Amino acid sequence: MNILSPEQTAIQAAAKDFVARHIIPKAVEFDKSGAFHSFLLEEAKPGKIFGMAIPKAFGGLDYTPLTQALVLEEWGYGCCGMATTLAASVLSMESVLLAGNDAQKKQFFTPMLNGKIGAFALTEPSAGSDVGGGKTTAVKTAEGYTLHGSKCWITNGGIAEVFTIFAQTDPAKGVKGISAFIVERGTPGFTVGDEEDKLGLRSSNTVFLGLDNVKIPAANLLGKEGDGMKIAMQTLDLARPAIGALAVGLAQRALDECVKLLHEKFPGKPFPGQALQFKLADMKIQIEAARQVLHHMMALREAKLPFSEESAMAKTFGTDVAMNVTATAVRLMGAAGYSSELAKFMRDAKVMQIYEGTNQIQRLVIARAVLSRPKSAAPAEKVLAK
Amino acid sequence: MSSHLTDEQQRIVKSADAFADEFLEPIAADLDRNGKYPKAVIAELAKHDLLGLVVTKSAGGTGAGFTAHVEALQRLSQTCPAVGSIINNHTAASYAISKWGSEAQKTAHLSALAKGQALGAICVYESGAALGLGADALLGTQAGTNIKLNGKKAFVRNAGVADTYLVFATLPADDGKTAISAFIVDAKTTGLSVGVAAQTMGLRGCPVAEVTFENVVLDSAARLGAAKDGAAILSETLSVYALGEAAQTVGIGKAAAKHAAAAAKHRIQFGHPIYSLQAIQTLLAEIASDAHLAWLGIRHAAQLIEDGAPFETEAAIVKSFLGRFGAKLLVDAIQVEGGLGICETAPPHFGGALPLARLFRDLAGTTLLETPADFPEALIAASL
Repeated sequence: MNILSPEQTAIQAAAKDFVARHIIPKAVEFDKSGAFHSFLLEEAKPGKIFGMAIPKAFGGLDYTPLTQALVLEEWGYGCCGMATTLAASVLSMESVLLAGNDAQKKQFFTPMLNGKIGAFALTEPSAGSDVGGGKTTAVKTAEGYTLHGSKCWITNGGIAEVFTIFAQTDPAKGVKGISAFIVERGTPGFTVGDEEDKLGLRSSNTVFLGLDNVKIPAANLLGKEGDGMKIAMQTLDLARPAIGALAVGLAQRALDECVKLLHEKFPGKPFPGQALQFKLADMKIQIEAARQVLHHMMALREAKLPFSEESAMAKTFGTDVAMNVTATAVRLMGAAGYSSELAKFMRDAKVMQIYEGTNQIQRLVIARAVLSRPKSAAPAEKVLAK
Repeated sequence: MSSHLTDEQQRIVKSADAFADEFLEPIAADLDRNGKYPKAVIAELAKHDLLGLVVTKSAGGTGAGFTAHVEALQRLSQTCPAVGSIINNHTAASYAISKWGSEAQKTAHLSALAKGQALGAICVYESGAALGLGADALLGTQAGTNIKLNGKKAFVRNAGVADTYLVFATLPADDGKTAISAFIVDAKTTGLSVGVAAQTMGLRGCPVAEVTFENVVLDSAARLGAAKDGAAILSETLSVYALGEAAQTVGIGKAAAKHAAAAAKHRIQFGHPIYSLQAIQTLLAEIASDAHLAWLGIRHAAQLIEDGAPFETEAAIVKSFLGRFGAKLLVDAIQVEGGLGICETAPPHFGGALPLARLFRDLAGTTLLETPADFPEALIAASL
């Protein structure tokens, strides 16, 4: 159990209620169709669902990091596909929070407070784990910047209104030549490709973005030219534990559903054999440990202490635990599990070990922190690029 | 490993490889997508001698044996594990009839099963905690010299497309308790009906459904083995089935290692193919090692079967090992492919076939426990 303030308890209860009413009943249907669950945004608007990371000065709710984690866990408990749409929208704001001026914050946050969606576009066909390998360029013109290139695996890309997009303003400088921009949907030259047909998180929208000489005003540059890599890495530090939080919720759900199926299977027998009891205990140990790694990381963030290493751990451990727990749940429940919602949880968990930086890349981040004392804040990608 | 195979076993291996390339590779992705039973494949499987491997020549099979059977399953499952499941269920039924059938039963069923004129299936699971428990349990009662069956079997593979079901039912025993008996039941028997096929995560194309028995009357000739043999037939049939699933799992693991290694050689990040990274090499090496160790266990158990020696503990060891390491084969392989690994179909800007997501879903189905209470470790512990 967590030791929560009355306010956090109330927010958690509201999130549980939202998930039980709007997400859980629709999860299987939207997993099957892979369609965009636009109804959820209408439901989300009155509760300012994307406002939890927005400062009060801009009309947001400004939840503490731990409170945000509690909400994200509940979303993940309901459906990690739909939760990814919501979470990715929240996370797209982090770059603006980190580097944006007041005008940019207003430009980005206002549509989101009205239930519009945001997206963060960093990855390219040639730049996955190797973030510095991107080929998208931003050329300075008299009016502003012209963006040219492409982005792939962009969560919410097909449904978002506002984007943070990363491009090279000075390709000769490598990672130091990357800059971050706000781009609005509908700008001429901005195109959205077909939606990817994914193994899991199927209701989450994942697309290829084309940027064919997209002209944007100079005012859309976040921070300074060349700040892009720093902004991207700091954004990922903030975003990764959110994935860990969805994963903790998912793993908890898999355990709960597993217990429910067991009671159906063994009516009148509250305690199955020890082999099964121990498996359930191991699931619980892993889930609780992942939750505490996550909450500790959020506490560090709240205390303004360094948290980059803990952020990578929260994502890696949380999603590895979700993978283990969901796969064990399917196996234990046999043929019944294989045709149940447990199978969806397992597919969702697999995708979560990959997106927002593969768990291999997270291990590089963690290993580098372990090997270098005092801790440095440079991204692992840089070390590898040498 | 092929140097340890006899000429006949090598012939079957070649036949399975050719079959996989020619008939399975072109249909595997579609079969997964539409989930329709691939009826046309059955006749081709028979032509390639892949349906009667555990049936002796004199009974109409190839007599190639159990090693040839697991070799073939492993190879076919590298391409299409769903067709592997069709064969595995079919073969489990053929095996039991070969071992415990009377001469009349062998004559009536084995040749047809081996030649693909009839497809076999086993009806084992029930929705209760164990056989004979729960509201829907399949129970048999004596009606003169006949047996009358009433109840339901759950999660029957090849359901609705099989011609010959090997059915396990609970009957009253002499000592006032109950005992398991095995029966050979024709699919067309009055009172037998098949429910709607379930939507499963993977192994799609091998149908799975409930089979309901409503006053199904069987004469005494339908009983397989003696009344006291029922439990042994059930246990051994499930061990044979588990070995088949293990062979499928190893095939899936081998395919995963192959696809992931190819992707790693192709994928350039940080200026080099990621295949050159130690972390990727370690991950691929562990997949190959775990699959190989499981395969040695399967081949050992298969040899014991061919020798007529006890093999169920060895089969349980393989099942236990793959219970711990099986899912990891694909969980890790997909990490190597990253975003592409979790795509069901290749995005146009990447191109190429993407089987790992399908194999991930299939593998989840080849490493299931029969029931939540039935651990292979119990059998292993009992042998110590």
